[in-house]
Amino acid sequence: MKTPRSLALLLAIVLVTALGAPGAVAQETPRRGGIVTWFDYGDPARLDVHGESALVTQQAVAGVFSGLLQYDPADPAKVVGDLAEKWEVSADGKTYTFHLHRGVKWHDGQPFSSADVKASFDRLLDPKFKSPKCGAALKPMVASVEVLDANTVQFRLKFAAAPFVPALGSAWCRVAAKHVLAKYGDLNRPEAQIGTGPFKFKRYERGNLIEWERNPDYFIKGLPYVDGVKQYVLVGGPTQLAAAKAGKVMLWDTWPPMKKTQADELARARGDAVQVSQVSINTIYVVYVNTRRPPFDNPDLRRAVFLGIDRQELIAKPLEGAGVPCALLDPKLVGDFALPLDEVKKLPGCRQPKDADIAEARKLVEKHHPKGLDIEVAVRSVGNYLDRAQVLLAQLQKIGIRGQLKSYESAAGFAVFGKGDFTMIATQDRAMDTPDPASLFSIVYTTQAGSNWGKWSDPKVDDLADRALREGNRDKRRQLYWELQRHILGGAPSAIPVGWVEGWFFVDKKLRGYKSALSVYDNNTFMKVWLAP
Amino acid sequence: MRRLLRALGWFLARQPLGAIGGVIVLALVATAAFAPELAPHGPKDVKFPAYVPPGAEFPLGTDHLGRDILSRVIWGARLSLYVGLASVAFGVTLGGLWGVIAAYFGGAADTASQRVVDVLMALPPIVLALSLMAALGQSVNNVILALTILLTPTAARTLRSLALSIRESAYVEAARALGCSHWRVIALHVLPNTLATYIVLATVNVAYAIVVEASLSFLGLGAPPDEPSWGAMLTAGTQAVEAAPWMFLFPGLAISLTVFGLNLLGDAIRDITDPRLRGGLG
Repeated sequence: MKTPRSLALLLAIVLVTALGAPGAVAQETPRRGGIVTWFDYGDPARLDVHGESALVTQQAVAGVFSGLLQYDPADPAKVVGDLAEKWEVSADGKTYTFHLHRGVKWHDGQPFSSADVKASFDRLLDPKFKSPKCGAALKPMVASVEVLDANTVQFRLKFAAAPFVPALGSAWCRVAAKHVLAKYGDLNRPEAQIGTGPFKFKRYERGNLIEWERNPDYFIKGLPYVDGVKQYVLVGGPTQLAAAKAGKVMLWDTWPPMKKTQADELARARGDAVQVSQVSINTIYVVYVNTRRPPFDNPDLRRAVFLGIDRQELIAKPLEGAGVPCALLDPKLVGDFALPLDEVKKLPGCRQPKDADIAEARKLVEKHHPKGLDIEVAVRSVGNYLDRAQVLLAQLQKIGIRGQLKSYESAAGFAVFGKGDFTMIATQDRAMDTPDPASLFSIVYTTQAGSNWGKWSDPKVDDLADRALREGNRDKRRQLYWELQRHILGGAPSAIPVGWVEGWFFVDKKLRGYKSALSVYDNNTFMKVWLAP
Repeated sequence: MRRLLRALGWFLARQPLGAIGGVIVLALVATAAFAPELAPHGPKDVKFPAYVPPGAEFPLGTDHLGRDILSRVIWGARLSLYVGLASVAFGVTLGGLWGVIAAYFGGAADTASQRVVDVLMALPPIVLALSLMAALGQSVNNVILALTILLTPTAARTLRSLALSIRESAYVEAARALGCSHWRVIALHVLPNTLATYIVLATVNVAYAIVVEASLSFLGLGAPPDEPSWGAMLTAGTQAVEAAPWMFLFPGLAISLTVFGLNLLGDAIRDITDPRLRGGLG
């Protein structure tokens, strides 16, 4: 009798452990109702998800639109269908045929069809249309988009490209209604936010609030679970932290991540009610200089800044050490596509102690400006950018560059940067659209890159990025990316890398069914989240 | 020298609180004047560890970027005093001249100019200052310009009312009867008689200007972010209220102490120059 009793006890322990384990949460039945609350770090002003590059824009409309594909909310590393029910690839890897869900309706009641997909991607791929995210990623790969019938659409690629599916799954590649584009010309105004997503765009109060309401006709029956989502516009760390501590926002899974002191303060205030975790947010931190304007039209001065800035200090002070200094690609995010950090740390510009680099940088500045140099340094007054800018100015001073800060409100800053109306941008984070290494170069470094605000053009960079995009062999692709990283880190780029940003997020434990994505842009639709009592 | 000491003794006896205010203001002026010598480190040096609490090496601690707070508070005195004095010099002087001239000549020009003053005074001061800074852009000189615009109407209104009574006085009439030009009468007889009020107005408004500058910087629209402004230091302090309370405590104390000192001194000067209060009845 002893053995069966022991077995029963063991079974009981296993059962109790299993029921109490975190995995058990996934077994709970989702509840309907409630409002999810979170925040935007600034006011988006413009809402065109095809034409903008600010997270605030993407976040403002994330749950309103659907893509053809998406990163799986339940498994963020996997690309799954969204409006596309399924898809197939031709044998040569150059043709993708997407079969669309039937019976999908736009939020205004109009029927959705493949014509909408074509209209959206024709717009994104139009060489005259500046699309810094989805368009910049797809233009090098996609030759054309064709309608086969009302529910089938075909993408023809210029070459077989491994990053195509990850890029198409990006939250920036949203499908807009053809009739809405025809009516408004763009997607900037609130009235143009007619999507097929789980939520309808309900309200936009400038500088204050963005609100969505449940779409009862969402094409995935039963979703979403919650009645709506409210995004408060909260500018500045202290305001954001105060809202988090007071329980006014249910999650902090957006840029800028919390710093360690903020995370500790929140954990003390909310205790067990929240789950706080350290995260890599797939975002590079760069300093831009304008190659079309003096003095940084001179490669010597770009190189001087490249050498003179102390990346370790810029990560250690304003980011409280949360980040990977010097890396052009972060090994944590793209694995061995990133140049090994041991090699990067020994390169001029990154090596410590800093004395030799500062002396060399000073020499380069004195060669062209014996009395030093005065410049205006632009910065958006969001996140901790002003802190970063102040440390940067102190570092530039050491190499003979005296900077005067000029700060901009978020959207105004983007407008100025887009026009190239700056000499130096003290700091700007650029989040990757996909986990593929190609994302960095199509966003920041190629001539046609969506955020090539410094108007840098280096034929070798363009060539290597293009060859890496076309390369099917993984090892050869890695070698091409290593060569590309060595070339940029050894040269005088306009986007001077500082490192990769990390930080802390929190989720209110009442918010169930939510998983952080690999990019801050993904999994912001809240289609599968629900609120526990 | 003996006369000066006697005057100081008299001031101390009659206005002890004013004397305390005077000492605080003197200390502020000395700190501002000798900031390079007094500050142990550069106000923008980021070379020290962050969040060091007050101690032997850093008496007021370091901030989140590793800057010495004592050095920044000392340099902040220079910025605050510069903004306060410059804006008062421009704002109260321009406003005073405007009020005196308008009062002296009277008529339609006076009425029209007072309606302009009404409009400016109807706007909430901080909203007006914020709008001006948003339009002008962030710089110390633009803060002074915004404050000048803010201070001008109050000074114009105050000194106008005083000039209205001076205009009717016998010595002004006598000067006019002797053939003095209007401008000579204003320069030699009206303006000197507004001086006491001007001084009181200036003293009180320096404190007001320092607070407005700190408020603008606190809201991110004052001096450029890297300048050691007390208001901007307060903003930075709110990022780590629990972890590093010294970051907002010391700039906050500096603002409070300065405003306290200037107000005490201003009140004392007002009491001394006001004939109704001179008898010590207040």
